[in-house]
Amino acid sequence: SPTGDSWGIFTFLCAALCNLPALPALNCSEELGAGQSIQQTYDLTRYLEHQLRTLAGTYLNYLGPPFNEPDFNPPRLARAERVPSATVDLDLWRGLTDNARLAANYRAYSRLLCYLRVLDGQVGTAELRHRLSHFCASLQGLVLSIGGIMSSLGYPLPAGPAGPPAPPGMPTAPNDFLKKMDDFWLLKELQTWLWRSAKDFNRLKKKVPPAVVTLQLEARGF
Amino acid sequence: PISPRSLSLPDPAVISPQDPTLLIGSSLVATCTLSPDFPLKAEDLYWTLNGRRLPAASYAALGPSTLSVALARLNGSRQQSGDNLVCHSRDGGILAGSCLYVGLPPEKPVNITCWSKNMKDLTCKWAPGTEGETFLHTNYTLKYKRRWYGQDNTCQEYHTAGTYSCHIPKDLALFTPYEIWVEASNRLGVAVSDVVMLDILDVVTTDPPSDVHVSRVGDLEDQLSVRWSSPPALKDFLFQAKYQIQYRVEDSSEWKVVDDVGNQTSCRLAGLRPGTVYFVQVRCNPFSIYGSKKAGIWSDWSNPTAASTPRSERVAGGCDPKAGEQNTTLRRELKQFFGWVKKHAYGCSNLGIKLYDQWRVWLQKSHKTRNQV
Repeated sequence: SPTGDSWGIFTFLCAALCNLPALPALNCSEELGAGQSIQQTYDLTRYLEHQLRTLAGTYLNYLGPPFNEPDFNPPRLARAERVPSATVDLDLWRGLTDNARLAANYRAYSRLLCYLRVLDGQVGTAELRHRLSHFCASLQGLVLSIGGIMSSLGYPLPAGPAGPPAPPGMPTAPNDFLKKMDDFWLLKELQTWLWRSAKDFNRLKKKVPPAVVTLQLEARGF
Repeated sequence: PISPRSLSLPDPAVISPQDPTLLIGSSLVATCTLSPDFPLKAEDLYWTLNGRRLPAASYAALGPSTLSVALARLNGSRQQSGDNLVCHSRDGGILAGSCLYVGLPPEKPVNITCWSKNMKDLTCKWAPGTEGETFLHTNYTLKYKRRWYGQDNTCQEYHTAGTYSCHIPKDLALFTPYEIWVEASNRLGVAVSDVVMLDILDVVTTDPPSDVHVSRVGDLEDQLSVRWSSPPALKDFLFQAKYQIQYRVEDSSEWKVVDDVGNQTSCRLAGLRPGTVYFVQVRCNPFSIYGSKKAGIWSDWSNPTAASTPRSERVAGGCDPKAGEQNTTLRRELKQFFGWVKKHAYGCSNLGIKLYDQWRVWLQKSHKTRNQV
């Protein structure tokens, strides 16, 4: 819906703009507090989830049946496991430190962004290219947002995949059908990560209230 | 639906041909060969095309671990990413797949038209040759070169004026003919359009006029005055401009065009309806470029400007209201005067309002004859 999109775009812009100067400076975070940034990042993941539904629908229709059938569940080939999976043991997930939790999100989305950008370069129709580039821009905002939170909490950023789109040791699919399967799993993984991130940021929200962060910043002499 | 299972390399099966390109109406025999260490047999397999199971009657076992399928008179691909031909195990699991690209070669692009904005660049658009679909993704490349010498250049900026368009932003020479053509290519072949030859100076257009103002002409109910500024590029280049105005009534979609505006930057519209809102637009044509008599290409119309004609106080009749009023008052007074004269003056009985009326008629008649001269 148009109203939904405007709200979402506004939230995204806030998140992106607020967190850009936060790396590595702490100006924005000092004023807002990491608690507020976490809320914005949570909102951003919800917005992306909404955007992904439309993008995935269009893309899977482009791939054609059976890829766009609701119960389609192809085998997951070894080569397709290139993004760290969002699904993780529940106890393991509960026990994650804030740093580990944020880092996992940061790493996953950085990787996913890279793969999506490669897709953008290859895809056939103008409509798809337009949707993909819009989504990549929003996803970039999410990565920056997470990085901003990590910096404001004093955590080091994980080394991002600044290199070529395909990380070393990951071959591109040998034929067009396998490539379609890779694309399918990429979108599925993206969807799963967005579902998981909402839970991650909800958890972080409760653990990092603004007041606590202010104290921490004061203690560090800011 | 099965739960996903991680399959280790090598692939459980191989399809041949893998990702073929075919002409519409052709037939195909595809084979699915199981990997030697895969514990299945040919009779455990089945085929689907775009999610639909293919009839067992079209299958043939070519060996213990190879099953073929015959596809006849293929239709154009359902999606440009290729039709999905999949080899399945009995329980529905996907063993291998192949994308079939079925379509037609492109037809040569047609109707290439180009224009240059202020002699600085060149934009061309064209139409794809095919009326129907080719079913395959078709790439278009616009190429150009200077006639008699120079190498082929390829246009880089596409979709600037619609899907089938390209923009050449710089390095264009004047006073020299260019050859321009469009190549369409897809998996089944290439088609090249006819070559169009043009000189940049022959296809020049410019920006629409700016600062278009429409105002009333005093109290005149049927006229509006239009004023505008010539486009700024005119100053830099040796061309003159001619203009065209179009206007319409607010609630109509029919534009009236004023063609003979010439190179002035103002014009008066006449014969308009009183008390009506009009929308006015102006456009410009650069001509006499470097002295040639050729006209250029009309610019876009300026944004519509609105204005309304004044409306008179009285209903249609066209008479000057003030004069009419005076007439009535004067006549009334005269009538009263003559009535008084009849009562109090002797010998002026011929004076009466009737005489006054006859005088008024004579006055109008003489006015008409005077004006007709």
